Amino acid sequence: MSDALAIRDLHVQFHTRRGVYKALNGVDLGLRRGEVLGIAGESGCGKTTMGLAVMSLLPRNASIPRGQVIFDNKDLVNLPREYAERVGDRFKPKEHERILRRVGKALARIRGRRISMVFQEPMTSLNPVLSIGFQVAETVYVHDPALLARRVLARSKTTPQIMREVLTLLGATQGGEAALRKFAADHDLVGLEEQVLFVWRREDVHISRKEKAIRSLAGQSMKPWERKIIETVAKSGSIPPQFARVPVLSKLVRRILLKEGSRKARELLTSLGIHHAERVVKMFPHELSGGMRQRVVIAIALANNPEIVIMDEPTSAVDVTVQAQILELVKQIRTSVSASFIVISHDLAVLAEVSDRIAIMYAGRIVEVAPTAEILHHPLHPYTQMLISAIPTLEGKSVEGIKGEVPDMRAPPGGCAFHPRCPFAFEKCNSVVPIDFRQGDDQLVACWLYEGK
Amino acid sequence: MMIAAYGLSKFFPVRGAFRATTSLKAVDDVGLKIQNEQVVGLVGESGSGKSTVGRCLIRLLNPTDGEVLFDVPDSELAEYEKARAAGATERVDAIADRFSLLRRSTSELRAVRRLVNIVFQDPYSSLNPRMKLSTIIGEPMISTRFCTRAEADIRARELLGEVGLPEFFEDRYPHELSGGQRQRVAIARAISTNPKLLILDEPTSALDVSVQAQILNLLRGLREKYGMSMLLITHNIAVVAYLAEYVYVMYAGKIMEWGAKGKVLRDPQHPYTKALMSSVPVIGETRTRSILRGDPPNLISPPLACRFHPRCPVAFEVCGWSPEEVAEDLEFLVGGKYYGTFGDGVRLTVEGDRTIIIQGTTEVQKIQELVDLEKEDVRSLKSIQAIDVADGATSVRLHEAIEPEMYPSPDGREVKCLLFRLDASAPAAMAPRSAG
Repeated sequence: MSDALAIRDLHVQFHTRRGVYKALNGVDLGLRRGEVLGIAGESGCGKTTMGLAVMSLLPRNASIPRGQVIFDNKDLVNLPREYAERVGDRFKPKEHERILRRVGKALARIRGRRISMVFQEPMTSLNPVLSIGFQVAETVYVHDPALLARRVLARSKTTPQIMREVLTLLGATQGGEAALRKFAADHDLVGLEEQVLFVWRREDVHISRKEKAIRSLAGQSMKPWERKIIETVAKSGSIPPQFARVPVLSKLVRRILLKEGSRKARELLTSLGIHHAERVVKMFPHELSGGMRQRVVIAIALANNPEIVIMDEPTSAVDVTVQAQILELVKQIRTSVSASFIVISHDLAVLAEVSDRIAIMYAGRIVEVAPTAEILHHPLHPYTQMLISAIPTLEGKSVEGIKGEVPDMRAPPGGCAFHPRCPFAFEKCNSVVPIDFRQGDDQLVACWLYEGK
Repeated sequence: MMIAAYGLSKFFPVRGAFRATTSLKAVDDVGLKIQNEQVVGLVGESGSGKSTVGRCLIRLLNPTDGEVLFDVPDSELAEYEKARAAGATERVDAIADRFSLLRRSTSELRAVRRLVNIVFQDPYSSLNPRMKLSTIIGEPMISTRFCTRAEADIRARELLGEVGLPEFFEDRYPHELSGGQRQRVAIARAISTNPKLLILDEPTSALDVSVQAQILNLLRGLREKYGMSMLLITHNIAVVAYLAEYVYVMYAGKIMEWGAKGKVLRDPQHPYTKALMSSVPVIGETRTRSILRGDPPNLISPPLACRFHPRCPVAFEVCGWSPEEVAEDLEFLVGGKYYGTFGDGVRLTVEGDRTIIIQGTTEVQKIQELVDLEKEDVRSLKSIQAIDVADGATSVRLHEAIEPEMYPSPDGREVKCLLFRLDASAPAAMAPRSAG
């Protein structure tokens, strides 16, 4: 089985006034399908840069001299790199606007839809002047308007008679959900089943109330010409230019679909454990607590059923009791969503809890990758070993700091970047960059100590 | 005793454009003691008031209420406590006049500033970017008249060596240093006047683990060498476990539990401490944790009685449930899970501070059944004392809340939880709840 995402020899540089900052220096990493991969490392080691590079969200002063990010047999960094090469050192708005737009369009097919990211600070990654419901709805509206269109259409086509059939299907002792899916497909009602199932699966509501709620889904009223437009959107998968160009029509489509998006937002938020989601979608970010905001940001990332979700420090802005809630949520999501996850964190203990494998980064390279248990109990790379022994525990065992400082990435040390701080360093380490050595079943370590072992 | 605080409170005024001035009760009735040469940890989530306590203790903030005695002999302290308990105002005043920090004038405080010092959380904003390191480190020595300017320069160089920085750093500026080095400078500045008490306000939270370990070891070394008392304020429980001997746990402006480190961390008693300890992720250990629902309360209108009760997994009848809280939960159940029993048309209104009126149903039996079935999960329902019918409506009466105090436990710690109130008289009755 091929990897969901493969990063090969990725280099990223930032051009600053004080020199070229080499943030990533040859990252090699594969994300397997369905796994949670943790990325750990100290601040400044390039964890976030790697996440941004995968998302093609690097700032303008970044360049990617070498490397590939392979997703679905396509190289994700190729497009921005091509663009950067054409643009060169200076950005000329008139000339480059067109290329930029083309690149952006091509990326939008993947970014936010098939690969999504949860950013570091939930406080700053939400727009303070837009309601929560709108912000979740917008993501779906931008990337998959057809989904919303199908949902509206399905409701408008449903009659009380159909709903009675749906309820009998669900009431059957087994196979109710599968039968419902088939029923929806057969009756051209795709989009209805997820709305029905959302209500049906709630556990805190009495069955008679659920039935009432499901019945009330039927018969969304719609004017014939509205329906025609929405049907076109549902069929074409995007908002066709003949509507997008006419302000009146585009506004109409937008209004209907965003309203539907808000409904979808309610379902999403409820599934992420937010109570009274119908109230929350009308709120603004400042009205929510840190934990709630983090849930909203996760909801936005999951809104389009992405194949890969990158979570950048999902718990570092929240308190330890809320962190525990979020960790439980992440564990629950991974069983319910068929996506692969990359979780970036500086806290190994957090990663130990949620991830299947952990990759340790130092100075823009992956120094060790292994299954969680292996890396915690049998760390091989000296840096990993020292990092683990620096973590204080509740038992108060003695901790040991790593001597020296993180290297200046404008002029990183030659050879293994860790050699100036490494107690085991020998001559080879000063001059030659170590390659990955496979140890045991599934452990890769980039350290010359393991050459030939 | 190095420092002892009694009933320390700090309320910050909150002004709104359209509402009356209210107060945010950041710290409410906190007692805390640090013995000579003792390291005490103060842990809590952000917003729990731990930094405010640290600042009030050394009068960087003036507390709204309470008393802080500094460097008081144990015999006098015992007498003070006795007099305070007995209400002997004259005696209390006599001792407080001599030792209270709150009764010192600004000029008298300057002498005290030599004996207490503080390391701030963020080493990037607590060092003046326009000063050389030698000036930064020398400043407290000069301003407290600890020594002359020339002596201060020499001592600054020594101190740099003391905290593990090369002496030639004296001519550098803060921007040339990394986070760990800056924090070392902040520590050098704090110990420059040989203080007896050092307040460490989140000393490592801005640092990476590898640097954090260096700083923790530095602090441990300094403590052994100089025998300072320290107050370690942090949200990182592992840091407290590494340095402190006693631990105070704060939640929403109140101390919830305090005691010897080993006891509080390994065998927490207060439900909040239990949840806090189980929330800490530990490497190589998968454990069943008690996940707290919701978030810490708003301190402008904190929950009644015990401030933890809305999130507490073992809260019971008298923990301080307000009728609003009970009505919300009841409404949710009646309109959701028990919709089949009650149907539409049930309306709940709160009347007074202990009564809820339910309109639209008079079936006391069914309500009682609902309460009995759900009260283990929905703890607020426990506070229902009686359900009666009057004038075609049902009225639900709640238990009266009891404000928890610090209850001593036999192993020397104190816990602010009503579960421990009856320990002496009826431990058996309360035991099953604390096990839950």
